[in-house]
Amino acid sequence: MSIKYGLLALLQRGTMYGYQLRTSFEESTGGTWPLNIGQVYTTLSRLERDDLVRSLPEHDGGQRPYEITDAGRAELATWFATPIGRGDRPRDELAIKLALALTTPGVDVPGIIQAQRTATMRMLQEYTRMKQRTAGPADLSWRLVLESMIFQAEAEVRWLDHCEASLARHAPLPTPPPATAPETVHDKEKTA
Amino acid sequence: MSVLELRDVHRIHGSGEATVLALRGVSMIVRPGELVAVMGPSGSGKSTLLNLAGGLDGPTQGEVAVEGTVLGGLNRKALAVLRRHSIGYVFQDLNLLPSLTAAENIALPLELDGVGVRRARRAALTSLAEVDLEGYAQRFPDEMSGGQQQRVAIARALVGQRRLILADEPTGALDSQTGEAVLRLLRAKVDAGAAGVLVTHEARHAAWADRVVFLRDGVVVDTSGPLAEPEHLLDGASS
Ligand SMILES: Nc1ncnc2c1ncn2[C@@H]1O[C@H](COP(=O)(O)OP(=O)(O)OP(=O)(O)O)[C@@H](O)[C@H]1O
Ligand SMILES: [Mg+2]
Repeated sequence: MSIKYGLLALLQRGTMYGYQLRTSFEESTGGTWPLNIGQVYTTLSRLERDDLVRSLPEHDGGQRPYEITDAGRAELATWFATPIGRGDRPRDELAIKLALALTTPGVDVPGIIQAQRTATMRMLQEYTRMKQRTAGPADLSWRLVLESMIFQAEAEVRWLDHCEASLARHAPLPTPPPATAPETVHDKEKTA
Repeated sequence: MSVLELRDVHRIHGSGEATVLALRGVSMIVRPGELVAVMGPSGSGKSTLLNLAGGLDGPTQGEVAVEGTVLGGLNRKALAVLRRHSIGYVFQDLNLLPSLTAAENIALPLELDGVGVRRARRAALTSLAEVDLEGYAQRFPDEMSGGQQQRVAIARALVGQRRLILADEPTGALDSQTGEAVLRLLRAKVDAGAAGVLVTHEARHAAWADRVVFLRDGVVVDTSGPLAEPEHLLDGASS
């Protein structure tokens, strides 16, 4: 995901200068995505280069407002209309970590799963607390962002449960040789 | 003082070949204003733990105390009174009485406890409204959907002045909005001074608790409390 579309969406509401963009961006994501002003200006200059925004004459106070162009509006409309692919959201470090852990001798995989689950659960508790503090329609944008994080954390916990169960059922060989290993299945659990 | 305390509780089911060690040395304290969630795979002992906490079953070793009273020291009658009076229980299989209406199901424990019929009925109606079922007071369980029955069971557990709320998968048949409404209710009851234990498979629901206890093969393998400073979380979200 990129700051680019965030800024375009804000400029669609009307002209704004850098500082306002930064504040509005943070407000609309409930502060989950803090930006520094440098990021805002770097992004704005790239948008301007690509003719997606244009800068207007400076205010008296020395602030330079930006305006979205027709090309910018079209770009934004396309973004809203296009589903986001998995590849655009790289958050599979955990999956890779577990996959590596399984094939690395001497690594306590159930321990990793449990520690991760506790950590994710703790985050989930905290998101839920924040959500409890939201109220009223004014908080809706922020609540949706929070709920997205809540559902993602929940999915992670479920996936970890699933990994743990798979691990218990198909205990991996301690040090798998590179050649094909015979399939060994230890049915530890009586119930499915 | 704690509302619920388990001290090194063990529960063995069956004997000989068929012995199942459902709980193996679980200790836990739940104080007023605290909601504890219990998670774990099927068969890990969650319902067994809740049954012990609610005095529906006794430990083979160790002690269970509710508001300071050790349940093992009570006779059947005293235990029944304490259960009715102090403990609200949502069963995994609901346990509504089929021959009673929704309102009667909720009012029954209050009436058994000596509350007058009219007051008990009023409390039942309030409790039904809290789970968004006003207008269902006269329905019998088999005239309601699974989710509605579940909400009646929750209303029955939350009615009155119970100090300990025990809920076994109370959101099982509910959609995500209704499930969340139930958790808000449970949370509110606990914030008002009750103690709660919630068994659930859903992390999103467990997250409403102050602590989450992970059970595995009858043993507590981990406990998660909330972070002190939520700011840490926000840093991670930007990367
Ligand atoms: N009355 C009983 N007699 C014999 N074994 C029992 C009895 N009740 C429970 N068990 C066994 O004790 C273990 C724990 O059961 P329990 O009902 O506490 O699990 P649970 O964690 O609630 O599972 P679920 O998520 O499926 O509800 C299981 O292995 C179960 O088969
Ligand atoms: Mg159970």
